[in-house]
Amino acid sequence: MQPEKPVHLPTRLTSLAVALTVALTVLGLRLWQLQVLQGDYYAQLADTNRLRIHHVAAPRGLILDRRGTPLVLNRPAFSVSILPMELREPARVLPELARVVGIPQEELWSRWERGRSRPFEPVRVRRDVGIRVVTRLEERREELRGVQVEAEPVRVYPFGTAAAHVLGYLGEVSADELEALRPRGYRAGDLIGKAGVERSYDTVLRGDDGEHVVEVDAAGRPLRVLREQPGRPGNTLVLSLDWELQQEAERQLRGWSGAVVAMDPRTGEVLAMASSPSFDPNAFSVGISEREWRRLLRDRRNPLLNRATAAAVEPGSVFKVVTGLAALQEGRAGPASQFVCTGSLRLGRWVFRDLQAHGVVDFTTGVAQSCNVMFWMLGRILGPDRLATYARRLGFGQPTGVDLPLEVPGVIPDAQYKQGTWREPWYPGDTLNMAIGQGFVLVTPIQVARALSAVANGGTLVQPRLARAVLSPGGQVVRTFSPVVQGRLEFSPSALRALRRGLEAVVERGTGQAARVEGLRVAGKTGSAETPRGRPHAWFAGYAPAEDPRIVVVVLVEHGYRGGLSAAPIARAILSRWRDGQRAGQREAGWASR
Amino acid sequence: MGVAVTADLRAVRRRLRHVDWVLVACTLALVALGTAAVASATATPEQPLGLLRPRLAHVAVGLVVLAGLAAVPYQSLGEAWKLLYGLSLALLALTDLVGRTALGAQRWLALGPVSLQPSELAKLGLVVALAWFLSRRKDPPTRFADLFPYLVLAGPPVLLVFLQPDLGSALAFVAVLLAMLWAAGLPRGPLAALVAAGLLVAPLVWPLLKPYQRTRLLVFLNPSLDPLGAGYNLIQSKIAIGSGGLWGKGLFAGTQNTLQFLPMQHTDFVFSVIGEELGFVGTVGVLLLFWVFLLRVLQVASSARDAFGSYLCVGVASLVAFHVLVNVGMTVGLAPATGIPLPFLSYGGTALVTHLAGVGLVLSVAVRRPKILF
Repeated sequence: MQPEKPVHLPTRLTSLAVALTVALTVLGLRLWQLQVLQGDYYAQLADTNRLRIHHVAAPRGLILDRRGTPLVLNRPAFSVSILPMELREPARVLPELARVVGIPQEELWSRWERGRSRPFEPVRVRRDVGIRVVTRLEERREELRGVQVEAEPVRVYPFGTAAAHVLGYLGEVSADELEALRPRGYRAGDLIGKAGVERSYDTVLRGDDGEHVVEVDAAGRPLRVLREQPGRPGNTLVLSLDWELQQEAERQLRGWSGAVVAMDPRTGEVLAMASSPSFDPNAFSVGISEREWRRLLRDRRNPLLNRATAAAVEPGSVFKVVTGLAALQEGRAGPASQFVCTGSLRLGRWVFRDLQAHGVVDFTTGVAQSCNVMFWMLGRILGPDRLATYARRLGFGQPTGVDLPLEVPGVIPDAQYKQGTWREPWYPGDTLNMAIGQGFVLVTPIQVARALSAVANGGTLVQPRLARAVLSPGGQVVRTFSPVVQGRLEFSPSALRALRRGLEAVVERGTGQAARVEGLRVAGKTGSAETPRGRPHAWFAGYAPAEDPRIVVVVLVEHGYRGGLSAAPIARAILSRWRDGQRAGQREAGWASR
Repeated sequence: MGVAVTADLRAVRRRLRHVDWVLVACTLALVALGTAAVASATATPEQPLGLLRPRLAHVAVGLVVLAGLAAVPYQSLGEAWKLLYGLSLALLALTDLVGRTALGAQRWLALGPVSLQPSELAKLGLVVALAWFLSRRKDPPTRFADLFPYLVLAGPPVLLVFLQPDLGSALAFVAVLLAMLWAAGLPRGPLAALVAAGLLVAPLVWPLLKPYQRTRLLVFLNPSLDPLGAGYNLIQSKIAIGSGGLWGKGLFAGTQNTLQFLPMQHTDFVFSVIGEELGFVGTVGVLLLFWVFLLRVLQVASSARDAFGSYLCVGVASLVAFHVLVNVGMTVGLAPATGIPLPFLSYGGTALVTHLAGVGLVLSVAVRRPKILF
């Protein structure tokens, strides 16, 4: 007795078959999508899984002075990183790693958290770990999965604080910077130049990292090397700095806040650039500690500031070079013009007082004595617009374009500026102040150096420059830098001659006698700039030899009181050092005379 | 004596003619493919053939069981449903009590050197019991109340398996029950009501799930939730399959497989190995083999001598189909990870023997079909 099969069984079976066919077709279509349409994408993901690209950090290029003295170099060292992809047990590994490496656990966690979005990129935990840490980590390789130790050179600045503002320092590339630089091969955790020539020539100095492509299994064990591509060290940057002069400048500035710029007026090559107080860029090479960084930022003397290029202050009497040149060129004064200095000048209701009465002075003596009354008179005749025009032609009020980051333009005021910034009209008294470099005029030492270079070289505005050449790692010259002329000032030879005679008189018999150097004719101008913030700033800006200028020296000593007292002796020390170098150079023609 | 032997031989020959050779061929092809994939998935430098040996032993046992069940008249199995069903329940209960735990679930019963996964055996036990009860009815179940005996039958194994916990197998029982009720003529209304009731119960089950099961379900909805943790398996499986492309990377040459990026690549994710190493051609080939196999089983169901035979075949078909859809769906990211093996292909003795035994049942039905008139 077999029970009958239900009548609707066939239709029900058919519907099951149809449902099954539909379901399998869906799976088939999904496979088509995954394997055929997106096959290449997944193949790439599979490669990302199994291929570890180890980047072998290429050493950054060296930085040399003009004679080949190494100013920045590298030292072999080891770095510790974590690879989030392989760090499967952070809760166990990170505390252990923090202990061995000696950094706070929280910092490690936050670094790991940040790296998780790109699990295949190693996250640097600490640079320059000692050999003992390296051994301890290697011993525990199995326990500390996801932790890597790799060779990565550390940047060394053998002279410490010397020329720190010129050389700059390194820091980890920031997220914003990385966004822009990733196409050019920069990766998270890379060190890039953050200041100085390290920053402005980062692409020159940076090497191409080597690549090892290794096949690994899921446990991260390396199985075989698939490709090995050696890295290429960065190019060497040769600076125009003369290390002898630089060190002299550093020595002279010690204890002061201020800046020194020495420059070749014919080429714009910067021979020395010092800013005081300074900092030690070595502290940045392995990642500066939070505390140290805060200390630098809080320091009221602002050691990170490059006072030669990035801080504009009142020029004081140094600005009389502009006023004097304008008067001579405009025919308002000649070498033989006579001025009566009673020690003060009346302007309407106000009386402008000078320190002393110079009596009857000619133009040269007026410059030599830095007679304010004479320059007030000249300023009054010239008017603010003409003063501003001359100042701008000499390059004030705009950056010099020196190859350093963060240069400031300074200020050359006019009526519009004063109205815009101070909400006040331009008074005739402002013109008098401007004529002697007070009031609203703000300049940087590098601007003064460029302007004085133009006076010294006969009227050519040259761009100040620190880079002299780029060499390949093997020492071949890759690129040389030639002088960049930024403008020709059409000053009459007689006007220039008269001004230069005045500047020579400053050192011979005037306010700048402290800059006198035996065996070298020095010309220059002192300045004592009143500042609302304390004692006057002391300036000296000069060149030598007066008959054929080959070096311009600008010294700024903040709150140094009088240019002739504190700034001129510094210039003198640098110039006599330069004279010694010239004499030595004549004996043995070396780098310097090239 | 001699006459009797001749008569027997004639009967055997007649039966062999009724064997569905396409069905057998599909089964053997799937078993062979699975064996190759398992060998590739478990090969190591020390053991180039991996788990090939035990796999072959499983295949041998499975084929003997298949042949034996094909030879036994299936009606007698039906009459023994109490024994089969009771044994299934007893083993499941024992597993829940003293079973071996692996991967967070108590699924295995150790019998000396062999370990047994009773949930797999219970699947067939339930199929036999349900088929027997359904075939005893005169009219198709139409009212909701008619479902009561079947729910009583299916309830205990579902519960016991769920407790292990093995969510996938518990759902497999439910799928088999629904498919067989549908074949028995249950109208859409009560069936839909049953499914709706199940869905309403689902939120009540949520708090009973182990944390890892909840994560699996959440991760299925969004695998990138935790790419290195719970979502890892699903992502790696998709990478393996996708990277196989059209033609695959060749047996033993899949990097996802051989470098161990693919988890559980010889059991739950054996399909991903095939996807990576044999490509789209391989995966679609496997799906086509299953398709032909299942259509042939349904064909046997419709041509069976009696209702019991039909229901047996539907039960086996739904069992295999559920496993294929859920397992493959999981490997391609269309279904959550529930830890269900791929029939005939995954490594795992009990599952393989169970599925081959199911094929044995179907063949038993097939060879006892009335003469087919072409």
